[in-house]
Amino acid sequence: MNEIRLGAIFVLLAGGVFFTFVSAVGVIRLPDVYTRAHTASQTDTLGAGLVVAAVVLAYGVETEVIKALLLLVFIFITNPTAAHAVGRAAYEEGIEPWTKGDERR
Amino acid sequence: MADHTHDPPPGGALLVPVGESVTLRQTVAYTMEIAAAEEISEVHFVSPVAWHDVGDVELAVRERTQSLLDRVSVWAEEDAPADAPTIHTAVIGAEEYLFSPDDYADILARYADERGIKRIIVDPEYSPGGNVPLLRPMEVALAVRGFDVIEAPASRPVRRSRLTRPGGIAQFGLLFGISFLFYQLLGGFVIVTGDSFDFFYELITGTITAGLVAGALYTVTLSNRIRLRTLGKQLLRLGLYVPYLVYEIIKSNILITTIILHPKLPIEPRMTRVRSAVWGGPALTTLGNSITLTPGTLTVRTEGQDLYVHSLFQSARDGVADGALERAVRFVFYGRRAAAIPTPRERGDYVELQGPNAESEPDAGAEADVESEPDAETEPVEEEPK
Repeated sequence: MNEIRLGAIFVLLAGGVFFTFVSAVGVIRLPDVYTRAHTASQTDTLGAGLVVAAVVLAYGVETEVIKALLLLVFIFITNPTAAHAVGRAAYEEGIEPWTKGDERR
Repeated sequence: MADHTHDPPPGGALLVPVGESVTLRQTVAYTMEIAAAEEISEVHFVSPVAWHDVGDVELAVRERTQSLLDRVSVWAEEDAPADAPTIHTAVIGAEEYLFSPDDYADILARYADERGIKRIIVDPEYSPGGNVPLLRPMEVALAVRGFDVIEAPASRPVRRSRLTRPGGIAQFGLLFGISFLFYQLLGGFVIVTGDSFDFFYELITGTITAGLVAGALYTVTLSNRIRLRTLGKQLLRLGLYVPYLVYEIIKSNILITTIILHPKLPIEPRMTRVRSAVWGGPALTTLGNSITLTPGTLTVRTEGQDLYVHSLFQSARDGVADGALERAVRFVFYGRRAAAIPTPRERGDYVELQGPNAESEPDAGAEADVESEPDAETEPVEEEPK
């Protein structure tokens, strides 16, 4: 039983690290501020979610779980808000979104 | 603006948008004074209504608005000069989503244009859609549309600052409850699991903390009138919505991961605009945030009900155009009946601002075979001006 739990924690953690890594790759590979805002915040959401899920599993049935879940709620609220703030700032600066064929910025 | 503009009435006409406000009586008096001094022949009192709720509340709003207009016309007749101008009253905007002061200005402008009215008297304390800071007030929006806008000089009580609104016992109670629960949550519910000392300790400190929070912030945090039953239903439906959202997030996360790791990086980013069929702060925020949360789409800007959505690839765009999230948010906030609504693409509320289909109005012919569900509340919004 314990091995299964340990395994599940490992899988969740690995998933979390993977999605966070992809998010970082996206920031480097994508061409402009809007597309980067996509990946910087969003792929992160799942990454953080999986890590929190691993934490919950590691604690088992305890009150700390509630805090971990609250953390998730806040991430889900603040992450898109931050992405929106970045996108909006760029839009108000008048930055044209990159389209196919444009140069990378 | 309107095609069928009438000639203005011979003596000139005044348009007065009215709604619940402390200076309404004075505004009516001032209007009739002007009407007498300048021998105005028509005075229109119109009340824009906003359906912030659908269903049973709608009737109550309609009745309240009607009784307000009745009151106004009684007052106007009291103040009327000997050669009284004709007084018209009207309720407008019942079939539209009014959100920002600009929306209100739009329908008022339409009303005025249809009747050739050039002058508008505004009540200084009446600011429909004005709960939202950062938006220009209706007076300004009307002046921009070329009307002669006069603000009725009304002595008024101290102007409230924008941040606070009158709060009642319900606001205080709800905020207190949430704060108290949150405090206990962070304390690990020792109040339930601990011994009697813990119980009293947690109870007292929790009450003090929640009391301070609620006392300081209850006029700021919860802006709208609270109907506990509606709120409860919305929370329940939110509980159904969250798993759906999580599923969507996971699904599109996997998609975006494959795209980022794809050697060719097959993206086609594009800016699109969607006029969403939700209104009001919380609902619009939920929709905007949900769109942003699902990878591939990013809400860049909101203007009234217009969401400017930046999307990374075609299937993400289609998701927005098909409005699954919009329907879900309508379900959460307005109930199951409101969720049955044509998609933004069918309504013609979805426009791509870049790419091959840029700026072209959605092709009605192509969508004609798609059956749109009849729904009283979702009359297609009028054509976008190009």
